[in-house]
Amino acid sequence: MNLDWLDAFLVYGLFSVMMVIGLALLLHLQLGLARIANFGVVGFWGLGMYAFGVMFVQVDWPFGEVWAFLISMAFGTVVAGIAGLVVGWVIADLDTDGVLVGTLGFATCVWILATTEQDLTGGALGMGGLGFPYDIGSVKANETLWLVILTIVVALILYYVSRVHKSPYGRLLIAIGDNEPLARSLGKQSFRTKLWLFAGSSAAMGLLGAMFGVMERFLDIGNLGIDITLAAIVGLVVGSTTRTWGAVVGVLLTVAIFDIVLQSYIPLPQSWYGQAIPNLREMTFGAALILILMFRPYGVLGQMRRDKLMRRMHGG
Amino acid sequence: MDIISDSIVIGLTEQAPLILAAMGFALLYRLTGLINVAYSETITLGAYMGMWLNTTFEINFYTILIPTGILAGLISVGTYFAVFRPAKLRNVGGLEMIIISFGLSVFLRHGLQFIFGYPVRFFDVPPPDTIFVLGVGVSSFRLLAVVSVFILALGLFWFIQKTSYGLQIRALANDEDLAQVSGIRPLAVTVLIWFLAGVAGGLAGAFYGVGSSVAPLLGWRQFLFILLVVLVGGAKNIGGVIIVGAITAVSLTFITLEFGQALYGQLALIVVFIIILKVRGTRAAEAGKV
Repeated sequence: MNLDWLDAFLVYGLFSVMMVIGLALLLHLQLGLARIANFGVVGFWGLGMYAFGVMFVQVDWPFGEVWAFLISMAFGTVVAGIAGLVVGWVIADLDTDGVLVGTLGFATCVWILATTEQDLTGGALGMGGLGFPYDIGSVKANETLWLVILTIVVALILYYVSRVHKSPYGRLLIAIGDNEPLARSLGKQSFRTKLWLFAGSSAAMGLLGAMFGVMERFLDIGNLGIDITLAAIVGLVVGSTTRTWGAVVGVLLTVAIFDIVLQSYIPLPQSWYGQAIPNLREMTFGAALILILMFRPYGVLGQMRRDKLMRRMHGG
Repeated sequence: MDIISDSIVIGLTEQAPLILAAMGFALLYRLTGLINVAYSETITLGAYMGMWLNTTFEINFYTILIPTGILAGLISVGTYFAVFRPAKLRNVGGLEMIIISFGLSVFLRHGLQFIFGYPVRFFDVPPPDTIFVLGVGVSSFRLLAVVSVFILALGLFWFIQKTSYGLQIRALANDEDLAQVSGIRPLAVTVLIWFLAGVAGGLAGAFYGVGSSVAPLLGWRQFLFILLVVLVGGAKNIGGVIIVGAITAVSLTFITLEFGQALYGQLALIVVFIIILKVRGTRAAEAGKV
């Protein structure tokens, strides 16, 4: 396949955008619907990435690479899910302050373990040896196919989120997010609901992390900073925390503009690309959070639309 | 026995800025009910301002502490008027306030990199004197940090418990409406709180900076521990924060000395503190909403 027309930087940029959309969609379930303020997105994402990497690189697999890859990918997802279950159990009955500490603390623990356990993770030196489970020719072709696979995964997440919005389960999440004591008094199992939501969405974050590790082909603790969490939160807040498409629109308006449009299509002085643009990006993201939440708290798309059933019930 | 005395001396002198920063954060948290993530940047700003005053005007470290504290306090008040007060007037919710403070933190952190550049910076100070405490050599800067914490803790305690402003602060934290009808001016008291918290954070930053280096992530790296110390220590009294801060400092040093890896100490403390928070359950509605 001739991919000369396709810029390798664009493929990588689109991969980053797609991955953040996936994370923001999952955060939408946690923060937008159930009001669980997960400030440790990078922890679950990073745990999935490292669990996959360690399993794939360090284990001496007796069978083919494809199976090793798939098992490692599943391992990364499950480990992140189990971590989500544990952290979810800790934070599910805490207030926002406790949730902030629990999730931020978890992300810090992941960073510490990735740094200290050098035999497994490579520590600060990083860990190589990761690769695609296929070879269809050039590096660019392999990366493009991986982007397509990620797009399918994110599309499935989007589909799931839209189904949640229309389901009784979605209404339960919204009810818990709006007024948890009331939901509990009506006999709803708020703790269990939040716990499984958190575990499931954390597992999916781990899967996205593992997929990112494949694209990078090198695991680096520098990836475990706050940037990923910030990008997902900004994308969600700018788009709309409560709307299904909020994460998609928000990430396109923020991460895509900075990581693709600004860096690829706007002629800027070469010296800016090293640190000025990334700094400007983060400053803009920080300012966007402040301004959006103060002046348009429901984001660009606005308040949640009630589904057909609710509109019929309430005559809206 | 050696390791215990070493842990106490090294821990308290190295981590005194943590206790100082936690005191400032606790003051703000108790009286506003806000987890102000941007407080981490008050610490970083304190370190940068101290370094800037020290290196640009060649002022010695001890002298720069006063303008550094005042500047940090003023910037803290500035963030209140520029961001938090307008947000409060717009009835922004508690969770959204935390996200706003997170946004402000990111904005300030990266703004600092624009102003001061990207490399790690250092104070221009002569090698500090070494003073022996329980047989452990401690630099004069670190000993000054401990003394500052002690003085500030006493000062804050006296201020909050014994002065009329302190009474107003406590009244405002307990019931804003009642305080208002009693003739207390909430704005003046709130500004005072933000200023004092900023002073404590800025001084902590200067002590951190002179003890090692000045970098954009300086405050952020301490933030989780400050938050844990305040939540576990209990925002209701400064004494609890100081005790938990001191225990944290000594424990971190003990684990570092015992296992040769500071990060393991941090890991253990994060886990222990989170378990404590879990066991203790949801925080009672003890904080006012300023």
